[in-house]
Amino acid sequence: MGKNLAYIILGVIAVVFPLVVTSDYYLHLVIIALMWVIIGSAWNLLAGYTGQVSFGHAMFFGIGAYTAGIFVTKLEISAWWGMAFGGVVAMLIGLFVGWVCFRLRGPYFALATLAGGEIFRLIATNWEELTDGMVGILIIQTFTSKLPYYYIALALAFLSIYVIHLVMKSKWGYYFVSIREDQDAAESLGINTTLYKNISLLISSFFTGMAGAFYMNYMAFIDPHVVFSLHYISIMAILVGIVGGVATIMGPAVGAFIMVGLQETFRSAFFGLAPAWTSEAHALVFGLLVIFVILFLPNGVVGDWQKIRRNVFRIGTSSS
Amino acid sequence: MRRHKVVLLSIICIMGIILFGVSPAAAVKVGIVLPLTGAEAKFGEIEKNSFVMAVEEINKKGGIKGEKLELIIEDDTGRPEVGRSVAEKLINKDKVVMLGGGYSSSCTFAVAGVAQQNRMPFLVNTGSADKITTSGWDYVFRLNPPVSEYAGAIESLLSQVIKPKTVVILHENSLFGTSGAKSFEETCQRLGFQVLLKQGYEAGGIDFKPVLIRVKQLNPDIVYMISYIMDASLLMKQAKELKLTPKMFIGGAAGFTMPEFKKNAGIASEKVISATLWHEVLRYPGAMDYYKRYVARFKSETEYHGAEAYAAAYVIADVLKRAKSYSSADIKQALSETNMMTVFGPVKFISYDKFKNQNKLPTYVVQWINGKLELVWPANLATKKFVYPVNWLTTWKY
Repeated sequence: MGKNLAYIILGVIAVVFPLVVTSDYYLHLVIIALMWVIIGSAWNLLAGYTGQVSFGHAMFFGIGAYTAGIFVTKLEISAWWGMAFGGVVAMLIGLFVGWVCFRLRGPYFALATLAGGEIFRLIATNWEELTDGMVGILIIQTFTSKLPYYYIALALAFLSIYVIHLVMKSKWGYYFVSIREDQDAAESLGINTTLYKNISLLISSFFTGMAGAFYMNYMAFIDPHVVFSLHYISIMAILVGIVGGVATIMGPAVGAFIMVGLQETFRSAFFGLAPAWTSEAHALVFGLLVIFVILFLPNGVVGDWQKIRRNVFRIGTSSS
Repeated sequence: MRRHKVVLLSIICIMGIILFGVSPAAAVKVGIVLPLTGAEAKFGEIEKNSFVMAVEEINKKGGIKGEKLELIIEDDTGRPEVGRSVAEKLINKDKVVMLGGGYSSSCTFAVAGVAQQNRMPFLVNTGSADKITTSGWDYVFRLNPPVSEYAGAIESLLSQVIKPKTVVILHENSLFGTSGAKSFEETCQRLGFQVLLKQGYEAGGIDFKPVLIRVKQLNPDIVYMISYIMDASLLMKQAKELKLTPKMFIGGAAGFTMPEFKKNAGIASEKVISATLWHEVLRYPGAMDYYKRYVARFKSETEYHGAEAYAAAYVIADVLKRAKSYSSADIKQALSETNMMTVFGPVKFISYDKFKNQNKLPTYVVQWINGKLELVWPANLATKKFVYPVNWLTTWKY
């Protein structure tokens, strides 16, 4: 009951938040964080639960974004259609990627997805007839207010977490975990591992593609370096998952807020309070953060929450 | 309990600093978007220094109608999506009255979109892709010429002196690089030069030998490169290692005029020519003075990017002084009525061809001669005679 109550309170806060905090700037950060909740959760389903670590989620993100963008530039229909089709197109690509990459295991799969992301970036850069190459795609936003975007992002974030929660509670969820734990054992129990790995990938790519389409609608500008970025999308997705907590439902959500918050704190040099050179330290601090998390909180902030409570806040020692 | 008190006290202190630390002095706030970190940070640095220098002078002379001019310089990290959110932050959180800056074309394009949508006047000083002032945006004004005009002086130098038959164009795959390459290709076709190869390369690339070997096999008369700093230096260094010897190496501004180009490429930078938009010897009032003071203060040379920023600060001050109020409409009006002389040349925003609110300026050609950037073209303004033909192998001391 206590847990349910916490979720309800969280939900109410989320809904009321933009009515209380009216600053567009903070709203923007939260919208971006919500978008990362979607991507992080999607990545977590594939990597955290199914054990197929992807280094190429920018591929699905970019495809979703470009689907929405190309709808506007080439088909001259609203980019909002991209929200429906971005995920589907990303899924189709996911099907192909799965067909190629799931023949490989472990690090080989990771490397194949890494290459996949880069391949799509190069395609988007060079296929100028379709994507306008490095000129990028600039559209005019539908709303000047941030409120609609906030609620759309919130709804999508909720949807992605909820769907993944349902999936993980179903039979599929157990298949996914069994594949992660031991693929050969899962196979010998009669689980069609290739099929279920693909299902996991499809769900993951769908949500990531949808987040990409949302990004196009919200940010209104994309180019290949932005949406197919290895560093800022693929790696960020991994960081969100790892920092928040791999294979936990709420982990990526927490991770998304931590990572977006940190990124902005450093970019703005602690909101202008610290000397400017600190903004150059963000890559270094991200690196240190990952090392710290892996060493001390291998299950992420959510996964190791009890440990954090014990050691940092010195509470709950009696109960544990 | 002690522990909690300490925590509580420090939280209150931090809140206090955030809320009251920045005391609101009477100042007109203008937001400047520049790359201060990332691959384009060197350009951001030279522009930031120049902005800071200019604003200090403006405030010393009385500021804007008795108020201080305050520039809020924010880092776009060279990424368009960050540039976008930075612009939104400046508009919504800092409540600036107008925007300035804009280095890379990609970032500037994204920021210009935000500015137009929010009806926020934006004075671009460097971002040069044509698209920024051909999109019909009436709140976007540009101080520097568009990239398609960068090669203007190069064009007359080519047709009058070098007279090449074949050309190779190398460019970075960025909005700036691709649009510059496309317009130079059109120039070549118009002048009857054969373009043997037009090749883009990835930003942040370090190994250009595969493409340079191809260039060597094609043996063109000139190699035209549109690059930022590191790639410009590496291209020349590796061309030297491969003993690639066309009649001339030409840079399309950006990286090729920066002091870091000489520093990084060393002797390989020697005798390379580049398009430029400015040189300190030009007969604009204060140009040489600005150059000398910059060198004295920052112990490093400045070039056209710095001059653009320095001039932009003066244009911003002039516009704010003339504006009836600090409303967007009045500032926009004042911007469109701008007619002033700066260290960067005369500034007046006009609409011509497909451009809107675009300043029109001549371009020049510079050459690295004995480690110094000399103005070589047009010939009547030259500080040194254009060194041509060049024996590259002796220049590179082989």
